[in-house]
Amino acid sequence: MSLAIAGMGWITPLGNGVDPVWQRLLEGAEAPAEKIREQLGDQSYSVFRVPNSALASLAPHPRLRRASAISRFAAVAGLEALHAARVKLGPQNRDRIALVFAISNGGVIYTKRFYRDIVETGAQAASPLLFPETVFNAPASHLAAILGITGATYTLVGDSAVGLLAIRMAEDLMTNDALDCCLVVGAEEVDWLLCDAYRRWRLLRLEPPVEPFSEVGRGMILSEGAGAIVLTRDGSLMIERTHAGGYYRKRTEAEEILKRIICDLTEGKIDFVISSANGTFIDKAECSALRQTIPDAIVYTVKPALGESVGAAGLWQVIMAGQALRCGELPPLLHVTSAISLRTPALRMSLARAGHAIVLSCGVNQQMAGLRLSIQ
Amino acid sequence: MLKTTAGNGKSVPARVAVVAAGVVSPLGFGLSETLDSLREARDCITRVTRFSVAECRCKTAGQVSDERLLDGRRDASRTQSLHRTSHMMIQALGEAVTQGPEFKPELTIIGTTSGGMSNGENYYRSLHRHGNLRHSPTWIANYPAQKPVIDAQETFGISAPCQVIANACASGTNAIGHAFECVRSSRYQCVLTGGYDALSELVFVGFDSLQASTPEKCRPFDRRRTGMVLGEGAAILVLENFDAARARGAPILAEITGYGASTDNFHLTQPDPSGIGPRRAMELALQSVQVAPNAVDYVNAHGTATLFNDAAEGKAIGELLGRVPISSTKSMMGHSLGAAGAIEAIVCLLALQHQFLPPNINFRAPDEDTELDVVANEARPAALRAALSNSFGFGGTNASIVMRKFEA
Repeated sequence: MSLAIAGMGWITPLGNGVDPVWQRLLEGAEAPAEKIREQLGDQSYSVFRVPNSALASLAPHPRLRRASAISRFAAVAGLEALHAARVKLGPQNRDRIALVFAISNGGVIYTKRFYRDIVETGAQAASPLLFPETVFNAPASHLAAILGITGATYTLVGDSAVGLLAIRMAEDLMTNDALDCCLVVGAEEVDWLLCDAYRRWRLLRLEPPVEPFSEVGRGMILSEGAGAIVLTRDGSLMIERTHAGGYYRKRTEAEEILKRIICDLTEGKIDFVISSANGTFIDKAECSALRQTIPDAIVYTVKPALGESVGAAGLWQVIMAGQALRCGELPPLLHVTSAISLRTPALRMSLARAGHAIVLSCGVNQQMAGLRLSIQ
Repeated sequence: MLKTTAGNGKSVPARVAVVAAGVVSPLGFGLSETLDSLREARDCITRVTRFSVAECRCKTAGQVSDERLLDGRRDASRTQSLHRTSHMMIQALGEAVTQGPEFKPELTIIGTTSGGMSNGENYYRSLHRHGNLRHSPTWIANYPAQKPVIDAQETFGISAPCQVIANACASGTNAIGHAFECVRSSRYQCVLTGGYDALSELVFVGFDSLQASTPEKCRPFDRRRTGMVLGEGAAILVLENFDAARARGAPILAEITGYGASTDNFHLTQPDPSGIGPRRAMELALQSVQVAPNAVDYVNAHGTATLFNDAAEGKAIGELLGRVPISSTKSMMGHSLGAAGAIEAIVCLLALQHQFLPPNINFRAPDEDTELDVVANEARPAALRAALSNSFGFGGTNASIVMRKFEA
């Protein structure tokens, strides 16, 4: 079945609001990097953080008093998407909307604080206020409470493909006539501990830039924020098809699975691809699969500008694709070397007659997924 | 793809069969041991051995034996590199595969609460003491919640894409319920589903800090209940389009017929005392199967033995279903969080297959203001056609499924 995107919202290291951030991306903006340090280790890491000003529009709510950054990000993005979709929640429809929340690392800042107290002082120092915020679905619960959703809520956990898997799940949910729409949110917060873990796994770069599709795979820069879309059954911006995804063990397998996903999504013309290239080993698989299946398609990734936001990444990609189809142009792809054999927009590029796009998500923890969008 | 069409041309919901199942929990390894433990009302709660509980109020949990979990694993190097959550998933999926190797899942939907949390604990502790981080790549690799699912699928050559639902303690039932809806809608013919969770220090201490866990026996629905004990385990159910399963001659263990899910926005960790969240989930599950409440013969309750949960759930069950027999099998094995709903679905399946009511042990006296028919301390023989299983979690997630005995 196909679904319509009735509204979109996001909060990113370049600020919040779909149109303002989109404009900055078109102008070639790149989020400013911030150094973070921790007593746990000597290494400092560069990250792309959400500026405080992006949270200024968020009204106080009792549920947000102690909530993690993820919950605040999700609230900003979710409220923007619902507003754009003109969905008003009330007693008549609060159980006719489902919430699917994509996340990867979860509330790592509170989890670390909670466990630090146990390690340093002992179990009796453990905080009963912090513990509930460590649970993966705490941000979804806060968002449901803020919005007044009483229907089904699902928190889906995975790698950076989880956002597209969440949209696939929403599509499955929407086969049920009892639902009018589905709010899909992806969110993540960044922390030193995550940077350190990814660095030990040789996936992180200490300083920007993020160089997509590079031969060496120097690594990614982590970022934070949230993206949200409202899915309904009718509209002009359509998700024509989702792919259930797959998982890989080796890079060569990743390439084969991606080729299958792309072939499944490319019936007819494809004008551009919003890729998930983030500067890691997985870019090679994506590049090779794209080259072999749709060599003429224009390929763009937003991760050099906004970083790798893992749980939020897939939603950001879909919003990028939606905006490119609506506005008929793509931002310039930053920090790409001229040696790659893909068609990429070196400068802001007009896509005047673009009608179809693919979004691909290749996670570094074995998951991958894709979907196809169109505009009428 | 098989799609059922009614006389008026409209597609009708497909019937959903459970064609294979596997389980590992403190009750035992496999369906047979689990059945024996349920019938004999075994108390499988023991003193925690995986980490120090010296400073905790609660000292006990339901635990899965590591020796048995690793026994017979052929590939020693792979065995060492996997987390015990992966071993539990391999054990549970292995049992399901043995029953029905011909099933071909198009999707896997698994519930968990804490994924590979103990890997994160190891990593943090090593960083904190500036210790040896030689194993850190293994810890980090095993941390993602999807890893045990992929490990288990790889072991048996299954390549279905996986969705991991983390809806706190409702995760397992949400996973089964969503899998049921996927098959019921005919979008999928076969979906692998279930849940897993392993004990971890962080989660154990967390529940202890909330004083939700008890230093005493776990006594669900008892007037003097004092809280939960944690548990661990994994369970797998293979759901398939009923007609497709029959056509290929697959054994049908039971049918899943209904699912309901709701969100209770009362509080992050406490249910609305009115029981509205659980009641709504149960109502939706019954509506989806289009049966009257009196068609339910047994309720496997969430029954954590906390004051708030059992009061709200008991009120909801009493108001909606009347004096139906209920039990919380967590009294025997502890609360395995994301695995609980899946393990308890297996309990319902065994109850329907073998026609008995699983017991709620450590029960002494009911709440003064409720009239629940608690299956106290011993299993009871009973004629069962339909069972309802509840799971409720932090964040106000509520999920109920209805399972029916298969009658050829």
